[in-house]
Amino acid sequence: MRKKLTLFILLGWILLLIGDRVDELRVYQGAQIAMYAIALSSIVLLTGYSGQVSLGNGAMMAVGGYAAALTLNNLGGPVWFAFVMAVFVSALFGAFLGAAAARLSGPYLAGTTLALAVGLPEIANQFDFLGGVPGLLFDVGFPPERLGEEFTQYKWFFWIATFLALLSLFITSNILQSRYGRTWRAIRSNSLAAELSGVHVGRMKILAFTISSAIAGLAGAVLAMTISLVAPGAYTLALSFALVTGAVLAGVSSLPGVVFGALILVAIPEVADVLATRWGGDENLNNYLPGLIVSVLLILSVIFTPNGPGEKLKSRHHKKG
Amino acid sequence: MQKLLETFLIGLSTGSIYALMSIALVLVWRSTRVVNFAQAGQAMLSTYIGFEIATRTEIFWLALIIAIAAGALVGAGVDYFFMRVLFKHAVSGPAAVVAPVIATLGLLGLVRSIVGLVWGGEFKSIKAPASTDGFTIGETTLPFSPLNLLIIVTVFIILIALAIIFQRTNLGLSLRASAYAPEIAQLAGIRTARTRTIGWAIAGGVGGVAGMLNTASNFLSPYSLDLLLVFGFIAAVIGGLESMVGSVVGALILGIALTFILNYVGTSLVFIGGFVVLIAVLLLKPDGIMARGKVRRA
Repeated sequence: MRKKLTLFILLGWILLLIGDRVDELRVYQGAQIAMYAIALSSIVLLTGYSGQVSLGNGAMMAVGGYAAALTLNNLGGPVWFAFVMAVFVSALFGAFLGAAAARLSGPYLAGTTLALAVGLPEIANQFDFLGGVPGLLFDVGFPPERLGEEFTQYKWFFWIATFLALLSLFITSNILQSRYGRTWRAIRSNSLAAELSGVHVGRMKILAFTISSAIAGLAGAVLAMTISLVAPGAYTLALSFALVTGAVLAGVSSLPGVVFGALILVAIPEVADVLATRWGGDENLNNYLPGLIVSVLLILSVIFTPNGPGEKLKSRHHKKG
Repeated sequence: MQKLLETFLIGLSTGSIYALMSIALVLVWRSTRVVNFAQAGQAMLSTYIGFEIATRTEIFWLALIIAIAAGALVGAGVDYFFMRVLFKHAVSGPAAVVAPVIATLGLLGLVRSIVGLVWGGEFKSIKAPASTDGFTIGETTLPFSPLNLLIIVTVFIILIALAIIFQRTNLGLSLRASAYAPEIAQLAGIRTARTRTIGWAIAGGVGGVAGMLNTASNFLSPYSLDLLLVFGFIAAVIGGLESMVGSVVGALILGIALTFILNYVGTSLVFIGGFVVLIAVLLLKPDGIMARGKVRRA
């Protein structure tokens, strides 16, 4: 535990040093990677450990984003309080949904969460207090002055996002190694056997859903921070798709893998942009190439390495040994 | 009273489009045990092909038939080239259970991107085969139009055709047998793999009709069938995901219920209404309205 804490602090320090040495765009992308890492860890906890599929993590992120923006805009107060509220409200939402989800098996749960991912942006469009299509502003403010005049806005985003990512990954990894993580894996492997061993399967599933939603909500608030607003257009079905892809690439049950998944998710638009420009750069190419790459990656990885690229290497290693 | 009747009739027309989508989902679920989210993509692709025919020839019915054929071909192709490969890599491990459903999601994304690359994101429309102006009785014009009537009639004819295929032909018998007990069906000499591909083709064709009819009264874009997929899924769940009759009943109930919400409460609550119906059915009657005390899931 103490060793891990030291590791995380060291990691944070290294990331800060890197953040000082690269240009603005990379710093901004660093913040995005941190955001995706948080979001992916929520899927790892839910799908990789407790065995429940959620295709609607984008919707959970939307709940967190809107909660943070509404808190900051209406109640004011310090920025950290908005993030706390994002976690709290999405946990509440997740607990409510989890109560229904815990009784559902695979296809029903997948369909229900997909329905949520399709529908939640539509709902946000319909209500005035959620700002409609343009959405709500979410401004975490300028970096504190004592950090110096050189300190840019993007670097401030990067600091906040990295800090939150490390904090949430630290907490998540401890949860997964605790009694709860073990129980979830038992439920995933054989829920009947788990039940006979005295595990409250339903209660544990709801707990997993709640924690996972809380983490996703935090990611949603971080996403809102990096683009300075919450709008239906930010939490689309495409975001949920991308998250599922990232999670499969990360190896659904590996927490360190989320950093790899997050890196790929941030790299895809970059790669698509380069390719689109090279291939003539018409509008359709720019709009749909990233989605094409995401889908192809998702299909290939789910067919050939459904448990993540890491698992393939590991199992080969075992066979040799 | 008049508004009540109108709402009911328009709900029937909306619901009958949902019925096609939910039948397509149920057909695939029964044979493959996968909720095929790519169904929206397959329907979209066949509708775009139908759109091309409709704009060139201006004959809606020809476009519809081509869309059905395209849908069937795409459906069979998805099963033959995609699902078979997926199941051949039958996997173990934490992702094994979720792999097929995630794969269909990836396929939906793939079709969407390809359609976007070819046709772009702007809204397209297909000229409706019948007037969209409401019927006029005496002095009043109803919102219920000849197109709505035509949709109901078309769907009804397709349902009859499906019923004949499933109840009266050898193909239907083998489709039902391989869905009900694949191993026994195989022992009885049915080529289950091929039958399954035919099932996917039928589902694809039905999805193509759903896409065309939805587009005739609406518009077409790479995202325009997402809600149809969701409502089709909800309808299938109302029917218990196993039963074709159940899913049609579920779709009509859902269509009428949502139209009532639309006309009497407002647009903002339509989706929430559908979601509430879904959650309510899952919690209260998880085996669907057609279940006869048989427990299927733990």
